[in-house]
Amino acid sequence: MSMLSRSLPTLLIAALLLAAWEIYCRQSGVSSLVLPALLDVLAALWQQRVVIGGHALATAQVAGVGFGLSVAFALVTSVLLYFTPWLQRGLLPIFVASQTVPLVALAPLMILWFGFGLLPKVLLVILVTFFPMLLSLLSGYRQTPPAFRDLLASMGAAPLTVFWRATLPSARAPFLAGLRISATYAIVATIFAEYAGARHGLGIYILSAKNNFRADLVLAAVVMSALLTLALLGLIWLADHLTRRGPQERGDA
Amino acid sequence: MLEIHGLTVTAGARPLVADLSLQLADRQITALIGPSGCGKTSVLKWAAGILPAGLVAQGRLVLDGQPAPRPLRAIGYQPQGDALFPWLTIAENAGLGLEVAGLSRRAARAQVAPLFAPFGLAGTEDQFPAELSGGMRQRAAFLRTIVQDTRFVLLDEPFSALDAVTRMRMQDWLAAQLAAAPRAVLLVTHDLHEAARLADRILVMAANPGRIIADIPVATPRPARSAASMAGLHETLKSLLLEENSR
Repeated sequence: MSMLSRSLPTLLIAALLLAAWEIYCRQSGVSSLVLPALLDVLAALWQQRVVIGGHALATAQVAGVGFGLSVAFALVTSVLLYFTPWLQRGLLPIFVASQTVPLVALAPLMILWFGFGLLPKVLLVILVTFFPMLLSLLSGYRQTPPAFRDLLASMGAAPLTVFWRATLPSARAPFLAGLRISATYAIVATIFAEYAGARHGLGIYILSAKNNFRADLVLAAVVMSALLTLALLGLIWLADHLTRRGPQERGDA
Repeated sequence: MLEIHGLTVTAGARPLVADLSLQLADRQITALIGPSGCGKTSVLKWAAGILPAGLVAQGRLVLDGQPAPRPLRAIGYQPQGDALFPWLTIAENAGLGLEVAGLSRRAARAQVAPLFAPFGLAGTEDQFPAELSGGMRQRAAFLRTIVQDTRFVLLDEPFSALDAVTRMRMQDWLAAQLAAAPRAVLLVTHDLHEAARLADRILVMAANPGRIIADIPVATPRPARSAASMAGLHETLKSLLLEENSR
């Protein structure tokens, strides 16, 4: 099935929902201060494209750095935990507990502790995106067929060779699933961090637009954040397709 | 000659295999048959140096009269099924053992390349396992084992996942391959026909705990083994297993 025909139902439903939004706003006479029509939002986005684009760039930079570090951190941690089961048993519950801390409490604390620079926002992105990737990697390692490990071990392969040749490649599909989940969190987490305190970024832009009762600009920034998330997912899709080997993985992305 | 001396495998307090000894003579196919759970695979995995965690084993592996370490370079092992890595091409899968032994991917490929045609795999070098039939995949797995050129080969139910017709074809094919390049093989199987068709010697195992209850040489030359000529042996094996099972 081609990508277009697979995406068709989603595109159709999205188009219907957006059309319903536009028609509702035009027909019901709802105030544009409360709910601006879709076309008005797009017009506001176009008018403010330079300003919103600048803020989006700042958000993308923070999200990119945070997400990149998070991926690296998840990979290194997963290898460490895989080879030291007692550490895995000890640390996983703590990681789970860290996920129960509400973002709304954490973001202002990060700003308080680390100021308005890059660090608190990057840390927040890592905190939010790290765990799904770590869990998907560890689950992927466990899914390695025992026969693959047995085969390599019987050939005299060292544990690291077995990991590199069988365990890590076996975790590819679960890791990509975790990567996609984390990518959707990355932009949201960045915006949240900026919302709590920043000089640039979509979060602070949304806050100031809200304070000026510009719902159209708030929604324009939301459209931009959705585009950023889609771009990040697109990059993951590209990386997946460029590194994919064998027909067995078709349809994973 | 490869020998296993006094192998005992336990899972917790439960003995899986008790004081089992066997010899693998050079250039001979030895079949190890027995009911499910009798410890056949545990014996094979122990000899290959990959006994699963949770099992404890005691015993000695002896190569030409000398104690041997496990895993042993002289032993090639083929796990149940084909265990082909789906992300590697058939040529890469076939050369896996050579790469683990230290060859570059290019050198491993050069070494496996001439064997693709004799193994009936010509043209599949750059294909992936998912693109091949069950029989072809099994051949690729054999190619991976054989190209390591080990003196001893351990096969764990190599044909169990194949349909009946493909299995018979593959048995004949394996017999021809081993006739062309004889080596010592320990074949674990639960298929009596397979054992009678391929083996020079059949070791029958009983369960609870796993032990060898019969050692039967097969005198009929392999090309002359028809269903009719092997019927007597087949009946003997069947009655041995049924008798042991009814105890």
